[in-house]
Amino acid sequence: MKFSRWLIVVAAAFLAVACSPPGPEAPSDTVVIGALSDIASWNPYLAEDAFDEEILSLIYPSLAVEQVDYQQHPPSFAPSLAESWEWSNDHLALTFHLRTDAVWSDGVPVTAADLLFSWRAQTSEALGWLWSDITDNIDTVEALDAHTIRYTFTHRYPYQLMDVNDGPIVPAHAWADIPFEKWEETDWRELVLSAGPFVPGLHTPQQEIVLERNPRYFVADRPRVSRLVFRIVPSKTGLFNQLLAGGIDLVNDIPPAEAARVLDNPDLELAVFPDRSFTHICWNLDKGVFADPRVRRALGMAIDRETLIDAVYGGFGRPSIGPVLSTMWAFNRDLNPLPYDPAGAIELLAESGWEDHDGDGILDRDGQPLAFEVLAPSESEVRKDVCLLLERDLARIGVRATPRLMEWGAVQAAVAEGNFDAFVNRWIEPTQVDLEGIWHSTPPGAPTFNFGHYSNPEVDRLFEEVAAASDFESQKPLLDRIQTLIVADQPYTFLVENTRLVGVNSRIHGTKINDATIFFNVDEWEITEQPESTSLPE
Amino acid sequence: MKRIVFRRMLALVPLVWLVATLTFVVVHAAPGSYADTIDNPRLSPETRELIRARYGLDRPPLEQYLSWLGAVATGDLGTSFMYKQPVSAVLARALPPTLLLAGAALFFDLVLGLILAVAAARRPYGWVDRITTVLSLGLYGVPSFWLAGLLILVFSLLLGWFPASHMHSVDAASLSALPRLVDLLRHLFLPALCLGLVGAAGTARYLRATLIDVRSSRFMLAARARGIPESRLLWVHALRPALLPVVTILGLSLPILVSGSVVIETIFSWPGMGQVAYNAARARDIPLILGATLIGTAAVILGNLAADVLYAVVDPRARRPS
Repeated sequence: MKFSRWLIVVAAAFLAVACSPPGPEAPSDTVVIGALSDIASWNPYLAEDAFDEEILSLIYPSLAVEQVDYQQHPPSFAPSLAESWEWSNDHLALTFHLRTDAVWSDGVPVTAADLLFSWRAQTSEALGWLWSDITDNIDTVEALDAHTIRYTFTHRYPYQLMDVNDGPIVPAHAWADIPFEKWEETDWRELVLSAGPFVPGLHTPQQEIVLERNPRYFVADRPRVSRLVFRIVPSKTGLFNQLLAGGIDLVNDIPPAEAARVLDNPDLELAVFPDRSFTHICWNLDKGVFADPRVRRALGMAIDRETLIDAVYGGFGRPSIGPVLSTMWAFNRDLNPLPYDPAGAIELLAESGWEDHDGDGILDRDGQPLAFEVLAPSESEVRKDVCLLLERDLARIGVRATPRLMEWGAVQAAVAEGNFDAFVNRWIEPTQVDLEGIWHSTPPGAPTFNFGHYSNPEVDRLFEEVAAASDFESQKPLLDRIQTLIVADQPYTFLVENTRLVGVNSRIHGTKINDATIFFNVDEWEITEQPESTSLPE
Repeated sequence: MKRIVFRRMLALVPLVWLVATLTFVVVHAAPGSYADTIDNPRLSPETRELIRARYGLDRPPLEQYLSWLGAVATGDLGTSFMYKQPVSAVLARALPPTLLLAGAALFFDLVLGLILAVAAARRPYGWVDRITTVLSLGLYGVPSFWLAGLLILVFSLLLGWFPASHMHSVDAASLSALPRLVDLLRHLFLPALCLGLVGAAGTARYLRATLIDVRSSRFMLAARARGIPESRLLWVHALRPALLPVVTILGLSLPILVSGSVVIETIFSWPGMGQVAYNAARARDIPLILGATLIGTAAVILGNLAADVLYAVVDPRARRPS
């Protein structure tokens, strides 16, 4: 056959493929969710990544469901696998009554034996569960009967129920024969049993994870959608494009700069809610220039947060005040944000000896210019933009702040080694308020989140009192005082309390997405038919 | 020839070892570790230390290296930190999609490159030649991520002809063989075209120059004097000898065939070697990085060897003793 004929054949084949139907019929009861990475393990005791935990929470049951009412008071819990629970008079024993209708996906009932086995996994040294510290204050676990189990604690503290509830529940009858030391090398995909709303379906590595509706789920007529399909797209831009094109129904964490495109799209809705995170500048207090709290305060006063929120966050965000989010029950409501006051900042810097003695436009002291680097991860467009605005704002008061952008792994290493001046970071705040990990002074060389090496003996002492407090009410005044001290010291410049943006296709109804999880009420999601949509999301 | 092949195969082992060792040194010199890259706000610094210990990252680098080398000598590439599976299984899973994508890309590369080159060489420095020169130089200079974005915009978002990512549609597993094949081809088209277009530009430039050289040779003058039509002269008489450099290009393409294109596979969510290598590098998954490097290095060496062998097969002059 001549070459030109080959070409005609190839062109015809191309046209045939292009004109072929775009794929199988659209499954109208499937929700396609965008994911940046694949699942690594189907065993919750081997999961390391937050995404794995989120998927596995749809498969393995939990005793109770943490509610999102932590704005006003510590989070409450709603019954789930446990239909009720009660405390002993001394608040040291917690007894759960399990549902009698809960079964694993193979039909075997979920009983107290599963919780006892899960407890053994949590405390097994051979397994070395990464979060075994939640069991530190639990003394004994005993099954009173097949559906009643009692946890006894070493002492009373505010997060007893939360600690018990955070331990995943796995099937004893299916897994107990596998020694814990063999768990890491076991292929768990075929061993998964679910007692949650979904069971694992087809898993195509690096492509998609399918979760099918669990017909044996203990809540009648739930979940309402037949399947969740997690489509793996390894870039945020790709995820967003797929959302716009209709290939994906739900994308978590839409960049603020793209919010307008979602709002302009009639097929999409934008869920907007306060995120449990804040962006800040961590000053390295080991560097002489930042040892003076007046310098730190002055630098914070020179930053125009309102403009920052408008320009970088598209108006989605609130000025951050201190180490506890203003949306949390533990926030000290007597605190006020640092004012934007460049003139005041210049005065404060002059008080501490920083003036432009040589007339070069940069403040100096003892011949040293007030110049430093601001470290940020190059992968984060938002934090890169924050760096640029910081550079501009600080230049206005005669301070040279040079952005130093590095890949995230390199940033982590630099920060851990103390090899930085200032670091634009974002903390996600758990509902179990734990300020000690970030603000307690640490000996040199110890692993810590206190990257800037902040140290205040009164704060350290207050943490000991917090640890000894038996309930939330006695903790609150101590936490208030800690926040007051930290805000006065300004080891961080608290910039922005972030807002979470989630793009959802408007065919999905009933989602109550919140900052705890996008799957908060996943078993209540519903899909409305769209007659015009005949093709499958690609 | 057999001796040359045997000697080159012997050289493969120390070369692969050298490259893998250098990679090991570079990976360890890079800041951060797997434990630092895990995305989980619940991980405390102490827990990250536990993870380091779990994967042996707290051991001295020399000890880690010797233990890795010992395992590789017995054919064990280790276990991937991030996938929790043997490295060989992860790579074996990623290789077929990469071979498929690169094979299709090579097809576009050769076919389009050939068309552009012949069109240009038909009348050197004529308007067709000038246009194809600008076109091929333009394609050669365009970054592949930009070209990928353009193709997605036009063929996927605007025209809706081809999907923008993945190997299959949702629910493709429920299809019978032929529709599933068509579904695969539709997903394959854009990434293969993107890779192929950039390659075609290079192929066209090489081939055009050789074609013009060959056309002015004496055997072509003789053929023309015999009254052979111009199109046959070009497609049959000139093209065959002019294709020799393409054999070299083919051999050099083998590494990409095997190791995948990081950029294209990531943009199009194609589950091949490139994406695996990208994820491994980002996650500091040392066993996987080293495993992918071993395969890539072996592919480069074997690709060069294959090019030399092919060259000798198609051109008898290369087999003559000097």
